[in-house]
Amino acid sequence: MNSIYCINELTVAFGGRTVLDLHRLVIDGSRLHILTGANGAGKSTLLNLLAFLTPPASGEIMFDNAPVPWGSPSLFRLRRQATLMHQFPYLFTGSVQENVAYGLRVRGMTATEQRQRIAEALAQTGLTGFERRNALKLSGGEVRRVAMARALALRPRVLLLDEPLANVDYETALLLEELITSLPQQGICVIMTTHEPNHAERLGGRTIHLVSGRIVQADGAAEGPGPEAVSPVVPPPRSAVV
Amino acid sequence: MGFITESLRTSAALIVSLDPEVFATVTTSLAVSCCAIVLAALIGVPAGVVVGLHDFPLKRAAITLLNTLMAMPTVVVGLLLYGILSRQGPLGTMGLLFTPSAMVIGQTLLAVPIVANYTVGVVQGADPRILPTALTLGAGPLEGVLQLLRQVRFGIVAALIAGFGRIIAEVGVAMMLGGNIRGYTRTMTTAIALETSKGEFAFGLALGLILMTVALAINLFLNTLQQR
Repeated sequence: MNSIYCINELTVAFGGRTVLDLHRLVIDGSRLHILTGANGAGKSTLLNLLAFLTPPASGEIMFDNAPVPWGSPSLFRLRRQATLMHQFPYLFTGSVQENVAYGLRVRGMTATEQRQRIAEALAQTGLTGFERRNALKLSGGEVRRVAMARALALRPRVLLLDEPLANVDYETALLLEELITSLPQQGICVIMTTHEPNHAERLGGRTIHLVSGRIVQADGAAEGPGPEAVSPVVPPPRSAVV
Repeated sequence: MGFITESLRTSAALIVSLDPEVFATVTTSLAVSCCAIVLAALIGVPAGVVVGLHDFPLKRAAITLLNTLMAMPTVVVGLLLYGILSRQGPLGTMGLLFTPSAMVIGQTLLAVPIVANYTVGVVQGADPRILPTALTLGAGPLEGVLQLLRQVRFGIVAALIAGFGRIIAEVGVAMMLGGNIRGYTRTMTTAIALETSKGEFAFGLALGLILMTVALAINLFLNTLQQR
């Protein structure tokens, strides 16, 4: 297994309250992973942790077999490998093209490279021709597709998607589903959250089920280098190797 | 009523004829206040961002201090700096008292709390998704903050306008640190005070009209920016 994340004895707390409590979690870097759980289960917190946006209160997270340098100014280099699309994406003021170009610009890409990447990403998300549209005057579904294009243009190693299929019309959902399932074949690890129990079956991903900040079920348990095996039995241990 | 009408007519003539003294006074006012607001922006905006974005033990105290400094009387700032810049003061050897530089320093101190305080409010009221979005797209810490400022630029411009409004209209610092020297440190507000006390009501009124025009121009500029 090509593990990209390895989490050990990790907690995340807000205001002294523990919201995520993971004993062990290993994530394969070449698959689609689906995080399920009720509201407040810790799905978005886990995504923010995996995007290196929220630091843990305790414990360790390894990325590519190296510990994450929390608090270091160089953390942004790691963030450039894992891009998060929020549940309600924020588009910057300006055009669609300027939004998609932002991540490319901060990476110092040339204008030619940027144009090429933008065109590809917009084509992937069915937004060709939207380049000059005002990003603040788009519909909800279009906003999500622009946010997806903005993330895809960066060609990250890990794409973290927070409820990408919620509140979008049928056609947008189909387009996004098709896109999401095709990404692992391109070598992009996709970790997405959903409320819908049938998404995992339909998209063919590995499921990680969270309850109150703990993993209670993780199918596709593999031979992770963890001290504990994963059990899909409930009540389970706080562990998973996915 | 006739007195005011006559004064208005005379003041209009002074403005239209580009009276050299009026021109010099207006130029000094604008130059000093523009320099001061640039310096205040360089200090106040980063300070506001730091206070607005970070949690630290004395954050509430810092915000209370900024609020208090916003209401600081201009003559008190003038008095404190007079003590520092006068010959007996710690910086007396620099010979800054009664120079435009001293006025710039004073006006900067007046504007910094306003700019910083507005920036704190703007940053705290900004959409909380802006910074995480910039960071997850690969921005470094500084690039992330710059992107945040870009998204809330109207609020920052409003902060600068408010600061500029305060200093262009103040008289305490300009009088105490500039000395109201004709053609050198005389500003619109100090000239209005002087000329009115001398009975030159029309001259004071002309400067008052220009001061109001400057305020109007600033607000029009802000409105134009916000509509874009």
